[in-house]
Amino acid sequence: MKISFGQRLSSMLKVDFRRMFKSRLFYILLACALLMPILMTVMMAMMDGSVSVDPQTGVESVMHGPENTWQNIGTLPGGEAMGGMDVFSMCNINMIFMIAAVFICLFISDDFRSGYAKNLFTVRAKKGDYVISKTLSGVLCGALMLILYFVGAVLGGSIAGLSFDLHGLTAANLVMCMLAKIFLMPVFISIFVLVSVAAKQKAWLSICGSLGGGMLLFMMVSMITPLGSTMLNVILCLAGGILFALGLGIASKAVLNKSSLV
Amino acid sequence: MNAIEIRGLSKSFGPKQAVCGLDMTVPMGAIYGFIGENGSGKSTTQKMICGLIPTSGGSIKLSGKDHTDPDVRADIGVLIEAPGCFPNLTVWDNMMLQAANLRLSNAEEAVVKVLKTVRMEGAAGNKYKNCSLGMKQRVGIAMALLGEPTLLILDEPLNGLDADGMRIMREVFTDIIKDGKRSILVSSHLLGELQKVATHYGIIRHGKMICQMTADELDANCRTYVALQTEDMNRSKMLLGCKYSRVEEDEAGYIRVYDLTTPEEIVTYLYDNGICVTEIQTDKIGLEEYYIDLMKGGR
Repeated sequence: MKISFGQRLSSMLKVDFRRMFKSRLFYILLACALLMPILMTVMMAMMDGSVSVDPQTGVESVMHGPENTWQNIGTLPGGEAMGGMDVFSMCNINMIFMIAAVFICLFISDDFRSGYAKNLFTVRAKKGDYVISKTLSGVLCGALMLILYFVGAVLGGSIAGLSFDLHGLTAANLVMCMLAKIFLMPVFISIFVLVSVAAKQKAWLSICGSLGGGMLLFMMVSMITPLGSTMLNVILCLAGGILFALGLGIASKAVLNKSSLV
Repeated sequence: MNAIEIRGLSKSFGPKQAVCGLDMTVPMGAIYGFIGENGSGKSTTQKMICGLIPTSGGSIKLSGKDHTDPDVRADIGVLIEAPGCFPNLTVWDNMMLQAANLRLSNAEEAVVKVLKTVRMEGAAGNKYKNCSLGMKQRVGIAMALLGEPTLLILDEPLNGLDADGMRIMREVFTDIIKDGKRSILVSSHLLGELQKVATHYGIIRHGKMICQMTADELDANCRTYVALQTEDMNRSKMLLGCKYSRVEEDEAGYIRVYDLTTPEEIVTYLYDNGICVTEIQTDKIGLEEYYIDLMKGGR
């Protein structure tokens, strides 16, 4: 009996989602994504205005906390001129792209370390199904983390009493920005999947490789998905996501076909 | 049609040739005992059949189709090295994952059935990491049995099993091939256990198949011997060693004289030399001794 691609993929996804939703790591990462912006925002707000003195030079420096909730998501218009580099220009929602690497690397290395990959690939000859399923699982996990980070940022801003002013931007820009980030996720996930299937059970190698590979594109995320994103940004990210996922997916499949799966 | 037909299979890892020009035929309905020393290429061959490592040359056909054919592969049950289970999940969850992989429509029913078969129904709720070695092995076998595959490929499935576990496995194996439509390829170093169930044998050495035969052929090929005990074992051994080509003392303390038709000849010979035989019997060597003979080049 011939089994269609859709049937194969749906059963593979069912297994991966079942595993993902039963995995402690998945919930730990989601909790991190939610709590990180809350803690960061509240702590930085508490330290706002505190003065520290360098004991050697005697130079005083004043800590600047966040002024606006949306600094967690991106730089506000005019923000570069106003504040220069602050903690949120590096530690914002874009960190999720790198945290997703941990999930994907451990998720895939677990398959090989436990021997589950043997069971899977014996009955499933199509390596492409595996790559697609892992990419989709990773994108789902990444998207959930992005959404939770957004929720955390809003909660953190409310607790710290920060402004929600969008400085001339609209709620639609915010939605587009989040959509663009979600659609950009496959670019990173497909890099992580490729590195992970090459490293197999060596989780440390796949994490190092993925972080290194992801870092090459990381600096571009804030440029491609600014807070004032439009439909163009969304389309650009979607196209990039699909192209990267296809290209690197084919490369991942080739790696699986050519290498030992045990 | 054969369940497995391998021709000229080879695999090299860099300069090391793990399997070279292997030919193997596993008939439909057979329990094929795949025997060989450590590092002889058994597991590599089994992994190639399962498509887990690419081949360097040759062909593998499963039920007449290429081994990469997804339809054929969907019908294989496998236990290679260790069961592929997630340690933090329960036995039940691991089984259900494999059931989902196999796209079983009646997954719960099928899982309950195979767990009952390997007597693990009571441990379904245990986390896999908390299972003993024998229990893990049973889970692995249960996983291989899931979906009633037509071909089972088992690498050392008897490792870690207690006596009851081995008996259960023997029953399971013979039950599987009852209808003649399903086959089992099993490798094991427990040759005594293997001999109780196998219908065919393949012996591999340095990546080459050195001999394939049926259980009947093995029986016919196995040497007969006379085992005896006398009043003076040392002198008897010396005397028999002078007259017969192969005389050995076994672990139980009996002198074995191979390739004789009648024990009377020995009794008379020793009696003529003033030695009285206290115990004598004829027997046949088993698979284990046949294999050792073969490895030593004795046959």
